Amino acid sequence: MDKPLDLLQSRLDRLMRTAVSLGSLSAYGMLLGIQQISKNRLEIQQGPVYPALYRLDHRGRITSEWDESENNRTAKYYRLTAAGMRRLQTEVEKWNPIADVIAGIPGTTPEEV
Amino acid sequence: MNLWARLRSWLRATLKHSGMASEMDAELRFHVEAYAEDLVRGGVPHQEAMRQARIEFGGIERAKEECRDARGVNFIENFTQDLRFGLRTLRKSPGFTAVAILTLALGIGATTAIFSLLNAVVLRLLPVPNPQQLVQFTYTFPPNGPENWNSWFGYPHLERFRRQAGMLSGIFGGTGLNRVSVGWHGSPGLAQCDAYTDNFFAVLGVAPQQGRLFAPGDDREGADVVVLSDRYWRSRFAADPSIIGQTILIDQLPFTVIGITPPKFSIYVGGARDLWVPLHALDRFTPDPNRWRASFTSWLLIAGRLGPGVSLAQAEAELDIIHRRLYAEQLAVSEYRDSQSWQRLVRESHLVLHPAATGMVSGLRHAYELPLKLLMGVAGMVLLITCVNVANLVLARASHRRPEIALRMALGSGRARLIRQLLTESLLVATAGGALGLVIAWWGGALLVRMISTGDSPVPLDVRPDWPVFGFTAAVSLAGGILFGLVPAIRGTRVDPGPALQRGARGTTGSSRFLDRVLVAVQVTLSLVLITGAGIFTRTLENLRHVDVGYQRDNILMFSVDAKLAGYPKERASALYGAILEKAAILPGIQSASVSTVRPVDDQYYLVDRIRQVDGRALPDGETIKVAWNAMSPGYFSTVGTPILMGRDFDLRDRGATSGVVIVNESLARQVLPGQNPIGHRLDGAEIIGVAKDSLYGGAREQPRPVLYRALFQGKGGTDPSQWVGAGALSFELRYRSRAGLVDEVRQAVASVDGHVPIFHVKTLRAQTEDSFLRERLLATISSFFGGLALLLASLGLYGLMAYAVARRTAEIGLRMALGARRREIIWLIVRETLWLVLAGAVAGIPLAVWPSRYAKALLFGIAGADPVVFATSVAALTGVAVLASFLPVRRASRIDPMVALRYDG
Repeated sequence: MDKPLDLLQSRLDRLMRTAVSLGSLSAYGMLLGIQQISKNRLEIQQGPVYPALYRLDHRGRITSEWDESENNRTAKYYRLTAAGMRRLQTEVEKWNPIADVIAGIPGTTPEEV
Repeated sequence: MNLWARLRSWLRATLKHSGMASEMDAELRFHVEAYAEDLVRGGVPHQEAMRQARIEFGGIERAKEECRDARGVNFIENFTQDLRFGLRTLRKSPGFTAVAILTLALGIGATTAIFSLLNAVVLRLLPVPNPQQLVQFTYTFPPNGPENWNSWFGYPHLERFRRQAGMLSGIFGGTGLNRVSVGWHGSPGLAQCDAYTDNFFAVLGVAPQQGRLFAPGDDREGADVVVLSDRYWRSRFAADPSIIGQTILIDQLPFTVIGITPPKFSIYVGGARDLWVPLHALDRFTPDPNRWRASFTSWLLIAGRLGPGVSLAQAEAELDIIHRRLYAEQLAVSEYRDSQSWQRLVRESHLVLHPAATGMVSGLRHAYELPLKLLMGVAGMVLLITCVNVANLVLARASHRRPEIALRMALGSGRARLIRQLLTESLLVATAGGALGLVIAWWGGALLVRMISTGDSPVPLDVRPDWPVFGFTAAVSLAGGILFGLVPAIRGTRVDPGPALQRGARGTTGSSRFLDRVLVAVQVTLSLVLITGAGIFTRTLENLRHVDVGYQRDNILMFSVDAKLAGYPKERASALYGAILEKAAILPGIQSASVSTVRPVDDQYYLVDRIRQVDGRALPDGETIKVAWNAMSPGYFSTVGTPILMGRDFDLRDRGATSGVVIVNESLARQVLPGQNPIGHRLDGAEIIGVAKDSLYGGAREQPRPVLYRALFQGKGGTDPSQWVGAGALSFELRYRSRAGLVDEVRQAVASVDGHVPIFHVKTLRAQTEDSFLRERLLATISSFFGGLALLLASLGLYGLMAYAVARRTAEIGLRMALGARRREIIWLIVRETLWLVLAGAVAGIPLAVWPSRYAKALLFGIAGADPVVFATSVAALTGVAVLASFLPVRRASRIDPMVALRYDG
């Protein structure tokens, strides 16, 4: 049922979902979070974050509400829905083996093949 | 999966569109400001921080656009945007817009007008609950074939069906009384009256508009109640509700009005009735105890409603058994029981149920179903041509818009988005064309109804647009808009912005030139099919008009009189007709006058009988001679101009004669007494006194057939002086020298005999003959109109193509001329291209044209479907028009000044 997204877009969607799974966050907070998790190795453009969030919202994977931010401003906070959580789990299950394989490749020596 | 969530989000987004836009703004603002604050905390000055935050965020507007896309809001938003933009662009080129809308309106209007007639005649359901349960009873007779069925039964069938059939929830029967006179407060008038069993309205499920309809018990001996139609109630009684309970006189007999049917109630197409009386009221008009008992008669329509869950086939199987058993019983006690042909009828006849959801078997529908379907196809082709024409216009316009489109693509518009925008424009044009087309159809539909009306009043057909018609128009407009908009839109956006912007609007690609030509060739092809069709139908009409029917068509006025309408009993009817004939014959300007049962080219009666005895010798069963017959006063043959070849006409001597006299036509004489002088021989006891030249009894489409003429005022064997008088209306024929004021004089003459006697069917023989070609005339006129329209549109398309070609090739032509090409060669250059297009169109068109003309075979007369002369004429006409259409472009090409041309477009 999902439209095929190009690779980049689907990566970004997955990333945002993972970020949201950490708890209720604003989009800006999410960006900071991703940077922290990736130890600043992952540079994400700020503009495209929003379409990705809106896409996830539109598909019912996340939900949002307005709330007070730390510095007394109203901000929009995102949360995973039950459906989003399920989807994330299946993706993680699919992703981990692949990630393991990919992680192993650079360390492989010719003799081992 | 989350379809619901998506839908909710989309709905929320669409409904609270402005709310969402500001929410989006707030969220993005928060982002930028929060980031800026972080930067400030890191030591960047406030101003610089905001700037940097904005830069790093990237295009804010683009992000918003993508957010909108992500939510699916853009569709509606884009659509309204496209709509506004489309309206603006169309307003900017009013010429294109007007021509496109008008062309389309013609196509859509023509198609819708034909469809509204087709809808009224063939498609519309009866205005009763669950019309698909209604069935009409018919039976077949040998030799079983598509034409050998009858929908009229005798009364015993109705009785038996009502008693024994279990699969139907109700069965009713009835018949037409035809024209009756209706007197109310002393003023006379004519109306159409039917007589039905008292469950008629209940089975149909019709509720009264006023008063009540028939109830059980109404259909009894001496029945004296009457139900009025809404139309008659309004036209005759000014919709006065107090008419209920009052007494009106039908053929001088009192009836009490009990109720009014709802508007539009009718069970036939084109056969609106004014009054309904119970079936047994028939006995009050003409007492005939035999009517309810006689077997093998055909006067009663029988129909019913299938019970719930019963299929047509199940009911048919049950009814067939009842029908066949009854037939067998009837034959066993009949005088025909030893006749082989009757035995065969009883053995082979089967009952067949006709679905009656769209009404009972109707002559109008029978006559016009095929022509209307054919014309629908024709109109569809015209619509296609108009679509192609508009597509051409849009294409031409698209090449002018190339810079605009290139600019928009360069600025980042997606191609799909541009196509959508161009399509929106096309749909706007289509919608406007459809709306205007509906107006044309409204007017055209009424015109069409007038065209197929021959009687004293227009055929009661409601062609005002209803929901099916609106739906049809909307569908056609939408399809048309997509048809003419899509291809140009796809091609118009196939633009490489760079070069297109540099070179401006000049020139199109090779493939587009090809497309232009294909479109024009398609127009040529379709036009050829249409004008060939028009040619075939026009030839058919001409052929019919030139048939020698055996009458002198000019200077004959006819009118009908029915003594019954003025309350004359059968015995006194002859005297009335005789008196009218005497008065009419002495009117100034009248050469001769006569009265007959069947008038020349009659559309009311077709009388058939069998001769069973020649010169006292009974013909064996199966060799009796089937004849058409007519009964007339002396003077008929000289009035209608049919010569008597041998013997004499009827005259006053025959009136009191003791033995009957008859006149035969040539065909009958040849068949009964081949090679002999028939004068003096006897047919069924009546003496042959004359032989008349063959005339076509039923009109131009018939072959000569045996006809027997009887003396109207004499009767069979001289026993009953009014044998042939009193059953229905008689027709008077007057041969006149001058027609001025004649109809009024006739009315006065009839009134001077009896002021209560109405006359009707007043018509000249020429008009009567013309009316008998109505269907052919309708086909010929409309197909010619459509053919002409198609030709005009095709020539416009050709003109546009050629004009464009010349404009595009100005430089090339200039160069050729500079290099010494002669003017003739330049002209040939352009004409050749035209001729190639026509040739291509014709080659494709001829096989296409053969197919519909084969389909129309039943409607043709004296011409084969694929007539080479018509084809040749059509191709010649098309070529002529094409050459004419390219005349202006050719002239322009031939006047190109090489010097100017070369400078202009170097």
